[in-house]
Amino acid sequence: MKKISTLLIMLMILISISSLAIADESEENPGEEEEYEEETDGQNETEDLDIDNDTIKEIEIMNNSLGSEIRLLQLQKAIIKNLLKGEMAVDVLKGLDYNTTSLEAILSEMKDLLEEVKTVNTSSNNSVQLFVELKSVAKNLTKHFRETIKDLLGDEKLKQIRERIKENISEELENCSKMIRNKIRQFNRNQLYKLYGIIGEANNSFVNEYLNGNISVAELKLQISKTINQMNKEKKYEIFSEIKEGNIKKKIHAKAAIEDIENKGKGKGHGKEK
Amino acid sequence: MNKKIISITFLLIILVSITLAYNFCDTSSTDEKQYDSPVENIDENNISEEIDNTFLEEDDEIEIGEMI
Repeated sequence: MKKISTLLIMLMILISISSLAIADESEENPGEEEEYEEETDGQNETEDLDIDNDTIKEIEIMNNSLGSEIRLLQLQKAIIKNLLKGEMAVDVLKGLDYNTTSLEAILSEMKDLLEEVKTVNTSSNNSVQLFVELKSVAKNLTKHFRETIKDLLGDEKLKQIRERIKENISEELENCSKMIRNKIRQFNRNQLYKLYGIIGEANNSFVNEYLNGNISVAELKLQISKTINQMNKEKKYEIFSEIKEGNIKKKIHAKAAIEDIENKGKGKGHGKEK
Repeated sequence: MNKKIISITFLLIILVSITLAYNFCDTSSTDEKQYDSPVENIDENNISEEIDNTFLEEDDEIEIGEMI
């Protein structure tokens, strides 16, 4: 009888300990889930197109034509920069009597791609999809060029050529940079007016100062933060919620656009590694 | 003897029940806190973070990789 009672007590103690362990686990789990989410976020690349987290972030502003214009101009700039570097590398290699046919073919494809980027209609519904596809092609061509030149030259010579090729400045690149800066200022002005709409007061001279380049984006952000922080708790929360809601909507829009692109399954030919 | 066993069993059952009940209450109150926390704890950093996400940096660039 004693044995039975001891066993029974042991069993009950075991149950008590296990229930405590369960209680502990339930407190730890949320953290674990967060960690898992962070890990998967870092590997958010699809198989067909090279859609990384940067691209998802970039398309957040493409829900209007100005945002699309900015991103496509930025893509143009990135391609022009790489074309200039590529052309310079080819010139150096030609001077050293290397066969540059394969490299020139890649540069030619890049030039065609640049023209394609220039012709994208930024008001069109599929501008996001085209941006994702064209960026993916640009990345693949760049990678292809980098690997081809690495096959032609050893690491040491590659290092020498890298040193000879400095950051190039061309008229086209300069114009592109100016256009991007102006478009970003317009975009930020629109955002500023949206915020003023939420806050309930507007400062037009401040907006003009920013558009004229007398105030930087950092100063602009600081000023808005100060204005909101001076408000009472309820108003501050109301404004914070509206801004956050807008930012979450942008993120959802971007995710939906990516899902749409994946579902359509287009751009497979563009996105494949070369 | 039987009475002793029964009383110990009951005591343990009560102990387990209290543990489970405490766990349940603790989880739900934590959830409430999490839900309420933005209202109570909006600080300058939260606002700055959201404002940062609203504007674009003028030197913002798209990365497609290096050629060499």
